[in-house]
Amino acid sequence: MLGGVGLGLRWDFLEEVVEGPALPIDFFEVSPENYMRRGGYYPAQLERLLGRYPLVTHGLTLSIGAVAEPDADYLNELRAEIQRTRSPFHSDHLCFSSAGARSLHELLPLQQSRENVRRVAERARRMSDELGVPFALENITYYVHPGRAELPELDFLHGVLEASDAGLLLDVNNVYVNSVNHGFDPRAFIAALDLERVVEIHVAGHSRKPSGLVLDTHGAPVADPVLELLAFTLQRSGPRPVLLERDNEVPALSELVREVHTLREVYDASLRSYRAAGA
Amino acid sequence: MQPALENVFAELVLGPPPTQSSLSELCQKHQLGADDSTALSESFARLCVYRELVRGNLREALELAMPRSVARLGPLFDEYFDRFLLERGPRTHYLRDVAPELLTFCRPLWASDARVPPYLYELAVHESLHIEVSALPSLPRGHVPAALSLELGVELSPALRLVRYGHAVHELPADEASREAPRARAVSLLVYRSPEHDVRYLELTPLARGIVERLLSGHGLGAAVQAAAAEAESALTEAVLAGAAKLLADLAERGVVRGPRAVA
Repeated sequence: MLGGVGLGLRWDFLEEVVEGPALPIDFFEVSPENYMRRGGYYPAQLERLLGRYPLVTHGLTLSIGAVAEPDADYLNELRAEIQRTRSPFHSDHLCFSSAGARSLHELLPLQQSRENVRRVAERARRMSDELGVPFALENITYYVHPGRAELPELDFLHGVLEASDAGLLLDVNNVYVNSVNHGFDPRAFIAALDLERVVEIHVAGHSRKPSGLVLDTHGAPVADPVLELLAFTLQRSGPRPVLLERDNEVPALSELVREVHTLREVYDASLRSYRAAGA
Repeated sequence: MQPALENVFAELVLGPPPTQSSLSELCQKHQLGADDSTALSESFARLCVYRELVRGNLREALELAMPRSVARLGPLFDEYFDRFLLERGPRTHYLRDVAPELLTFCRPLWASDARVPPYLYELAVHESLHIEVSALPSLPRGHVPAALSLELGVELSPALRLVRYGHAVHELPADEASREAPRARAVSLLVYRSPEHDVRYLELTPLARGIVERLLSGHGLGAAVQAAAAEAESALTEAVLAGAAKLLADLAERGVVRGPRAVA
């Protein structure tokens, strides 16, 4: 099983990870779309990591909330990639990213409605069988709720997870960003979550537009309020694998390793609190 | 609701720049309920963030795939990017495949647009082939090389593309700022991935192209050489046979020729 603090594997530093000595990183998370349905350098490098670090897959383009069923060829390739990487589970986002045949390459928000709970949960329930591993959904950042919300985000998320029995990939940066953009208390949100369902936690950096809107850019170090929210979460959830995501303005690997180290300090301190509270 | 929402989002991010009133029209066109339409209109500015994100992701993928073509097209690229998004839109799960989709869409349009240099399509294909060939599937492992035979076909690496250009776009400088025009001449280029995963380019003579083309379509080696020589209006002389042998040895050295295979 996964544990500790991991790092999102990016091509910017893939070679350094493959060629270099063992790093103080507990696991790497892989975007399967970067390695699926292709040969060449990157899949070859990824193969060299197998056995050196645990890998877990986190997809981007399943589009589980779209009207159209997920593409069968994509699912077959994804299943093969999950097997290749020996991922213990697979996750993707609670969103839609396609419209009919058009692929929009962005995580777009679903209406928080009872109909979408039923529809998405039915599909998510099938994913474990389709992919051959347990399936988890990530709470996304949303800058606007599309239309009138029938349900609060928390009820929508719980509804889908309970009805599908999927795991939760809890992105605490997304919770923070949403809390700023939509004006709610992120701690209250986390405290009300069913943390038993959490299979992994994501943290990342964000940025603020001149309008005040906070964007989930994955392009900066993790901000202090997000670190605090991570600690708050771990103190309640107990040990869960934590992952640092960095997709833009990617710094040197050594800097990311330092950031993982900071996260590990937060992780260890939080788990001490968790255990002390349980003792 | 979700079908209407998908259509509204798709048109909002892929279509012309929206305004408050065009958003209302979009909602009406796709029969989004009144409450939902009002809620969307109230969040117009934030909704437009998704337009920036989607278009930014796609544009970045295209600039990465064909930077010199994008630079040479300048504002014309924006015009065709907009048309591609509006009239077709990306269909692929993989950002690396957006450039070939755009080029398939643009090919007939550019051919009839006097503002687009005649070599531009070929340059864009040439640039985007780098990513395409770097990602083509590899042969399964465990391949054991064996001697070629004139009666048998030739197993070639699947990580290659054989292309023909009417301009020597492969000779253009790598500098994105360069506006040098390529020479107009027939070019046959083998673009392949080496065993070390590097994308490499080999210009072929008409005879060599004829042989490789036929081997790719499953002809036996002897028949491929014979037909290619006939096509090049050359007799099957000792020199032609020696040239074919040299070509195959060179391709084997480069990891392109893998060994014999049954004739298709």
